[in-house]
Amino acid sequence: MIDRRLFKLPGIRKTLGMLVVFTILQAFSVLFQGKYLSESIVTLWQQRSLNEAFMVIGLFVVAFVTRHLLTVVKNYTIGNWVEQTTIQLRHDLLVKFGMLGPAPLQDKGTGNLVTLSLEGMDKVQNYFMLVLIKMCDMMIIPWILLVYLGTVDWQEAIFLFVIYPVVIIFMIILGYAAQAKADKEYMNFVRLSNHFVDALRGLPTLKQLGLSKRYAENIYDVSEDYRKSVLSTLKIGILSTFTLDFFTTLSIAVVAVFLGLSLINGHIQLLPALIMLVLAPEYFMPLRNFANDYHATLDGKNALTDVLEILERPTIENGSETKVPSWQQDSTLEITNLTVAYEKNVQPALNIPYLKLGGYQKIGIIGKSGSGKSTLLNLLGGLLSANIVKAQTIKVNGTTINSLQTALWQKQLQYIPQKPYIFHASLADNIAFYYPKAGKQAVAEAIKLAGLFDWVATLPQGMETLIGEGGQSVSGGQAQRIALARAFLTPNRHVLLFDEPTAHLDIETEVALKETMLPLFEDKLVLFATHRLHWINQMDYILVIKDGKIVEQGTPAQLNNKKGELN
Amino acid sequence: MKKFLQQLREDSWVLPYLRKNKKLLVLVIFLGFMTVFCGTALMFTSGYLISRSAQHPTNVLLVYVPIVLTRAFGIGRPTFRYVERLTSHNWVLKLVSNLRRKLYQSLESTTMTIRQKYQTGDVLAVLADDIDHIENLYLRTIFPIIIGWLLYLAVGIFIGTYNWLVGILMLVLFGCITILVPIISLIFNGVRMQNERKLQQKFYTELTDTVLGLSDWVIANRQKDLIAKQDILINQQSHLKRINHHFDWWRDFIIQLIVVLIVIGMLWFTSLEFGSNVKTVNWIAAFVLAIFPLIDAFKAISEGLAEVPIHHNSLVRMNSYQNSNSNINDIPNEVIPQNLKIDIKNVSYTYPVNTEATFKNLNLVIPMGSKIAVLGPSGAGKTTLLNMILGDLNPQLGSITLGGENISKWQTKRSTIFAVLDQRPYLFNTTILNNIRLGNLGATDEQVKAAIAAVGLKEMVEALPNGYLTIMTEGGQRFSGGEQQRFALARILLQDTPIIILDEPTVSLDPITENSVLETVFKLFKDKTIIWVTHHLIGINHVDQVVFLNDGKIEMHGQPNDLYRTNQKFKQLLDLDRGLIK
Repeated sequence: MIDRRLFKLPGIRKTLGMLVVFTILQAFSVLFQGKYLSESIVTLWQQRSLNEAFMVIGLFVVAFVTRHLLTVVKNYTIGNWVEQTTIQLRHDLLVKFGMLGPAPLQDKGTGNLVTLSLEGMDKVQNYFMLVLIKMCDMMIIPWILLVYLGTVDWQEAIFLFVIYPVVIIFMIILGYAAQAKADKEYMNFVRLSNHFVDALRGLPTLKQLGLSKRYAENIYDVSEDYRKSVLSTLKIGILSTFTLDFFTTLSIAVVAVFLGLSLINGHIQLLPALIMLVLAPEYFMPLRNFANDYHATLDGKNALTDVLEILERPTIENGSETKVPSWQQDSTLEITNLTVAYEKNVQPALNIPYLKLGGYQKIGIIGKSGSGKSTLLNLLGGLLSANIVKAQTIKVNGTTINSLQTALWQKQLQYIPQKPYIFHASLADNIAFYYPKAGKQAVAEAIKLAGLFDWVATLPQGMETLIGEGGQSVSGGQAQRIALARAFLTPNRHVLLFDEPTAHLDIETEVALKETMLPLFEDKLVLFATHRLHWINQMDYILVIKDGKIVEQGTPAQLNNKKGELN
Repeated sequence: MKKFLQQLREDSWVLPYLRKNKKLLVLVIFLGFMTVFCGTALMFTSGYLISRSAQHPTNVLLVYVPIVLTRAFGIGRPTFRYVERLTSHNWVLKLVSNLRRKLYQSLESTTMTIRQKYQTGDVLAVLADDIDHIENLYLRTIFPIIIGWLLYLAVGIFIGTYNWLVGILMLVLFGCITILVPIISLIFNGVRMQNERKLQQKFYTELTDTVLGLSDWVIANRQKDLIAKQDILINQQSHLKRINHHFDWWRDFIIQLIVVLIVIGMLWFTSLEFGSNVKTVNWIAAFVLAIFPLIDAFKAISEGLAEVPIHHNSLVRMNSYQNSNSNINDIPNEVIPQNLKIDIKNVSYTYPVNTEATFKNLNLVIPMGSKIAVLGPSGAGKTTLLNMILGDLNPQLGSITLGGENISKWQTKRSTIFAVLDQRPYLFNTTILNNIRLGNLGATDEQVKAAIAAVGLKEMVEALPNGYLTIMTEGGQRFSGGEQQRFALARILLQDTPIIILDEPTVSLDPITENSVLETVFKLFKDKTIIWVTHHLIGINHVDQVVFLNDGKIEMHGQPNDLYRTNQKFKQLLDLDRGLIK
């Protein structure tokens, strides 16, 4: 419920200290509010005039207003800290994204990462806001009230003191029972609640099978099953709220009845009895507030765990970057005994005893999907984090470097995936992404070289047209051309990595694109993963990858003659 | 607010169910009312009880009634609350069942058989979320507001019976909490939420740019730019949130100030009304103490109304999906003819949003049992052609006939005539056996297993720990792309239709898998008509005719061998695909 890591966040001690002071002050204002309200009532009850009660009513008003002002003050105190902390966490999260790169984050899923940084962080903020104030309230207010009530009527105070843990114990027991029941039905739960989305996603398929109309009744039936299973869990689930409610209201009723009886017997007077009655609900209030927000805090706690888990992932420390010579005609890259394993104890996704690349070679990478082509390209692109890559040595021009995950290597690369990402920005900004300082002239030149000129001419605002999400739509072929234009704009990046750039394109688009692409290969080291065998003619060396290993390599002519995997 | 009420009036999603389930609705509101009533009455009777006891009545029996009532209300409040929560959840979940069916039916009537390429599953998830919003609209907004306002009226009338002037005064004071403050916060929230939504949208786009384009940011070494860009948004968002919080905090404070006024008013009223008589002074404590439990119920009104703008969006979105049931001419007893030749004559089609025609005067004959490949760049109308053959789209000019009859005649029998295999056939989250049986619900286990064996998956499935009863995870993700296609093939095999439509079924497969899937397809369905949309030329020799679509017209048409000999462009493309030329 409360995360220990919360107390390690910067500035928490000072904030908590202030919060405790304000909460103690608030406890006393609650106390005086109850006391003076009771005195006002008693004064009137004694059939004295309103004027005689003026003083106590005034004191009640002061205590009441102070109490609620203190709530606002507490919120401001915590609110400032929470705001600073969440801003910092969001910022750190983004910095971490940038340091980790895409591959290590893949296990989280892109959708998840976006929701985590948006809604997830909102939940965390909410959690901070709720949990600190409510914990403080629960730990301070009831006990100050209880001590005071003890001086007013010790017997009733003892009753209130004893009932408190009883309520908590019952809540915990019932909470566990509900949890056990929920666990038992959890699989069922998940299946039923996902069923609807499942059916919606499969609608075209159902329509193809001629089942779509009939399926509507199935949706209803499953939904009804879901309702029944939710209700049977709820019956126990909200029992814990029921007990809390039951004990707190019943103990107020019990207090009232006992007080009444001892008043009749003349043991106590009205004023202490009334104070008791007024403050009894206040005594239970923090506990009730805390229980009401339990689920919201649970959500927030889970989100915080996710955020901290990402923040704690290891990255290469700054400053340990080694100098990487820039790539030229006579450059070489040598890798020995390299393995990439995404998870421990699982067969490595890539296992290369020795690989040497040199100069402006054109290297084709061929293999089935899932064989490790993309892993190899991600590795060469420096997109894999240090904890999953184990290499004996990596040498560039004979100089040993720790890792390819360094800006000095990456600034020599251009990486073109299957579906290049188009940013929500103007076409010009998209093209100049790798070289933001490029002038208009240069961008226009790149557009021409990438064969986008005719298309740009049809756009409403030319190259200033907004593209990407929510903007002008871009076809798969155009997206590839935009990626090519980026590469044309940065001729000093001498290593080109292509990951199946034409897999999703129709044959005619591919042919047209190929003509544009080939001039780009000049004076570059090219690594080109593809399913499409006609590219082999443009390559002068081929790597055939199977199950994470290079099973064959050689010039196209050599491999053709060998009759191996390639044929 | 006005927009919301307007929306509520035209709404076809929520109101009909309110009317339909009146009794249960009244019960929920009654129970909610009783919960607050018991809480208030508990303090009321307790206050009276101890005041009366303090007068040392001669006999305990004189306070017997308040003692019993105090206990009854003490037990009544949690009990009513418990029952109320169960009933309202039950009611709302029942509503959800109905809404889901309705949403499904609306989507069903507008879905094309051939998937539009860019329709993502996320849109659907959003719709599913909307239903949850409707759930909360009831539980957190509609119910608390109705209950709160009923209580408000009850309190006013109750006090009014003692003194109508004070009754009106209390209605005004309580009205500040139940009407004035909620409306102010709704207006404030409406504006704020609009700003927040805009910012949220921007944030979302930027974050998607960050996450999906992360490798570009890293390789371009522009992480600093990325963070600088986002920091601006982060700060803007915190600023909005801060304003929002401050508003909420001070709003709650103002409510408490009104409470103080109410307490003072009540003390004044009770001392005037009851203060002069020994018998009635006991009501003073009762009236004053009863205020506090009421305030909690009233505060829920502000909170509920503040959420209205969120629910409003969901309501709008759901209402945009209306049932548009196209009437299909149902001819149940018509026998499907033996010769199912497809004849497309002078067909033209223009999408409503486009100015340019997708098809102009298209003519094509597909004889029974022939195999035809349809090629062309994206946007050339391949998907439109398939949707027209299936009868989901009707040509604006010209006709499409199947076995000599207009295609629309066969709509109810469609699944016995056409089987479709597309890019990503959907596998449902149920067992393998059940998934395949969807092809023919009457098939025996043996037939299903035979179909799985025919597509070459027997060994793989039997090696799984749960064999044929293995649950496919959502979308069949646990299997490779080739395996998913084969499962779908088995389903089609059971469907046993004379015409098979293939919509780029191998687009996401590598060439080796692609080849073997195509081999299987053309072997299994060698006696059937096959219409195959493809984007490249692997396996093109399986077909009798090739059609190239471009610009709404047929650009090339003929047997693959003839085209290879006579058509320079086709020869070039095919050679290139095979890697024969540079």
